[in-house]
Amino acid sequence: MMMNSEFNKLQSGWESNKKEINLSNDGLDVMYLKIREKEKENYFFYYGTIAILLTTLIVISLFFYYLAPVKETLSRIGVALMISGLIFRIIIEMISIYKAKQINNIDNILKTTENSFNFHAFRKKIHQIIAPTIIVLYTIGFYIITPEFSLYIKFWNLVLMDVSYVVIAIILFLIIRKGVHKEMQKLADILELKKDIIE
Amino acid sequence: MKKNKTELFETIYHKHRPMILQMCLGFVKGDKHIANDLLQEVFISVWKNLERFRGASTYKTWIYRITVNTCLTHIKKEQKVKTYAISEIEQQSSEDASEKTTNPNIQRLYKAIGQLKKIDRLIIMMVLENQDYDSISEIMGISPINVRVKIHRIKKRLETILKSNNDDE
Repeated sequence: MMMNSEFNKLQSGWESNKKEINLSNDGLDVMYLKIREKEKENYFFYYGTIAILLTTLIVISLFFYYLAPVKETLSRIGVALMISGLIFRIIIEMISIYKAKQINNIDNILKTTENSFNFHAFRKKIHQIIAPTIIVLYTIGFYIITPEFSLYIKFWNLVLMDVSYVVIAIILFLIIRKGVHKEMQKLADILELKKDIIE
Repeated sequence: MKKNKTELFETIYHKHRPMILQMCLGFVKGDKHIANDLLQEVFISVWKNLERFRGASTYKTWIYRITVNTCLTHIKKEQKVKTYAISEIEQQSSEDASEKTTNPNIQRLYKAIGQLKKIDRLIIMMVLENQDYDSISEIMGISPINVRVKIHRIKKRLETILKSNNDDE
């Protein structure tokens, strides 16, 4: 076991180095600049996704209200599925923001670790279950509108629309899969850290 | 209120910056650039939460909590090409130059601390900072007995690492 005198030597070396650091430039102006940058970044991080989803919701709603007011019941169900999926996604994003705000650096380390775990477990659930469900509902909605659209749109335009949707769906699937892997890795890291804290 | 907040922030900044930077350096094995990033993250958190400080602990303990949490949640950012203002680059260069005066002994200590588990690095640095078991226990959220056992284990491990590093040199 390290002798007290040896540890005291380490401590005095530690202290004297801190005095050297104390002589260095303070950089308060840079700090204030970083604080302002971070505040902007945080604002976008929290509300950027909601703003994008809300804009999409408004555009789609206006489109179906003014430009393509579908008449058949099946089509209306399709529109309802698309719009309600988006609304549900916005609600989920709000819950996610709430959980993210629970992680606070001023809490003790164990509590922060537990809150981080809860947040990432929720994100994993979003990527693994909620997002695919919303996309499936959205896709069903999208395709059951197609028969009524075919009455007004040229055949090849319709084929182009449906095929491009498949491409988008594949991209979304890959993004979601990457998101799940990322969250699983984070969860494993947090669990390991928690074990190190309490053992 | 804003003026008071700024004054308090600047007092905390001047008083605790060396301690925080030293902890960040120890956490990242002496890498000055990452340590400076961490230092900024810590002070961004201090600024953000300053109005929420209720005085249940000392500012020092409160800042330790923020520092330890920031170090643990720090994710290595991708290397991005960033554009800095000229004044910022000059300031950074002058900081780097002045902080290169660290002696070889402290570099050896940073290296040894860097070989410990992440959480153990932060605990041993709080011990080096002369924090008592009760404060460390409050910061960590675990019992003082657990802290005592951990510190005993970490000191032992640090001793082995230092010896082994000395033999290698």
